[in-house]
Amino acid sequence: MRVHDLSYVRSGDKGDIANVVVLARDADAYSRLAQELLPEAIAAHMGELVQGPITVYPMPNLEAFQIVMYGALGGGATRTLRFDATGKSMCTILSRMPLREGEALQ
Amino acid sequence: MTDAPCRIGAGSGFWGDMIDPAVELANEGRIDYLCFDLLAELTMSILQRRKIRNPGAGYITDLAPMIRQVLPAATRNGVKIITNGGGANPPAGAHAIAEVALELGHPELRIGVIEGDDLTDRIQGIRRDGWRFANLETGEQDIDRIADRVVAAHAYTGSDGIIAALGDAADVVLGGRLADSALYCGPLMHHFGWTFTAHDWERIGAALTIGHVLECAGLCSGGMSSQWRHAKDVWRLGFPLAEVAADGTATIEKVKGSGGLINRWTVKEHLLYEVHDPHSYLLPDAIVDLGGVRVTEVGPDQVRLIGMTGRERPDTLKVQIGYQDGFIAESRALISWPDALEKADWCEELVRRRLEYIGVTPLEQRYDRVGVNALAGSAAPDPGYEPNEVDFRMVVKTRTKAEAEVARRALLLPATAGPVGTAFGAPSPVREVIALWPTLVPRSLIDEAVTVSSARELQHART
Repeated sequence: MRVHDLSYVRSGDKGDIANVVVLARDADAYSRLAQELLPEAIAAHMGELVQGPITVYPMPNLEAFQIVMYGALGGGATRTLRFDATGKSMCTILSRMPLREGEALQ
Repeated sequence: MTDAPCRIGAGSGFWGDMIDPAVELANEGRIDYLCFDLLAELTMSILQRRKIRNPGAGYITDLAPMIRQVLPAATRNGVKIITNGGGANPPAGAHAIAEVALELGHPELRIGVIEGDDLTDRIQGIRRDGWRFANLETGEQDIDRIADRVVAAHAYTGSDGIIAALGDAADVVLGGRLADSALYCGPLMHHFGWTFTAHDWERIGAALTIGHVLECAGLCSGGMSSQWRHAKDVWRLGFPLAEVAADGTATIEKVKGSGGLINRWTVKEHLLYEVHDPHSYLLPDAIVDLGGVRVTEVGPDQVRLIGMTGRERPDTLKVQIGYQDGFIAESRALISWPDALEKADWCEELVRRRLEYIGVTPLEQRYDRVGVNALAGSAAPDPGYEPNEVDFRMVVKTRTKAEAEVARRALLLPATAGPVGTAFGAPSPVREVIALWPTLVPRSLIDEAVTVSSARELQHART
């Protein structure tokens, strides 16, 4: 199972900062994702795409997560060499992150 | 000032957006205001360049065709238009609007112009007075390193100018770098009589949240959405509008029968779009907290928003400084089966070695296998099969334009000196890079000027 199976996603940019919105599909998905969407796990999955720190803001009122990734767009939309200058695909790349299946979750 | 609900619609979310959904809203949306956000982060630098070449340019060129299409319905239905499409030259944009208004027989149309956001020529002076324009992203404390390469500098301004222009009975309000959300917050504050005082921060926070949901137009009504399978007829996408109550709650909807989709997902997607700390979203008009917002579907294409709030506006305003930062040469070659990925590696080495051989030292270079890893980079798994073809993308950034022109020729080599069966891709023209330096300026240094004149008066002033 992947983040994709539990959520809808959308990403955007500001300077060299990408943000990924993860919307849990229901309350159970929100609880599960809260244990999975940790900055270290996200950093490991995104690899070289994200050079700076990652902050995750859980939003229980919306059953959503705001994930802010710094140094994540190769310098920012106007100067990056990436095809996806504005990081629109960062959300789908993140949504491919596998969940820790089989591990006991509390 | 009134307690009656205010209906406010999104006319555009970016420069180049569709115009017909705005016309549809003006015709059938029963709206009071129609707001056009036309600026992205880089736009002001592009417009400033145009203004330097031609003092009559520097506004968004879509303004005239946009007004031409929207004005008949807007004047018929009493819809006021708010936009930041003045860009780097709002007075010139106002003249363009006045010309269209006169042509369409509306000489008394009142056009409000807001100026004062342009800091391009003030950076050095403010720097000398001791403000160093520290970079909000990199933490660099002083702008000195790039001071001689500045192209444009503009402060994101809030609702004050819009409120003043509407107070002076403007039908169209045109500014420069008005913050996207202010295009919506300003009219709502004017409508309900809210002021920048402790009494109203919560409602201003609500107005900004509503503005944030609407400001990219079709992006909250089925565009760029996870709901793409369910959004109907997006080729005639309906743009969103909000019916806002005097307590700051709102219903997001669109014209019945229009294309697209509004549901809790499309609204939540946009509610958090490009926000960083959701409990402290700093905007010129207030600090917004999204931590209590509730999103509920109340009908087909109707979503209710409650629980919005905000805190007192910051003492500083965000400034975006654009500066010259080198040149980019880019090209592609389409590599065919067999061994397409191996050939791509071979082509990458060919180009890298060629650049070295001719003495070009790129500031950065990048080689993508489009279809394999151009988006996800190292996060892309091995495709696990032999592709029919690979789109090989080459990008080289250099300090000078001359180096980029030389590099551009080297990017042709995968076809002419590379493996058999490789299809040419014409290199794009070398392009200039304008990098952005996000920073702050004390609010007290920004002095906005608002003038409201009729189309006829603007025409006379010119001749």
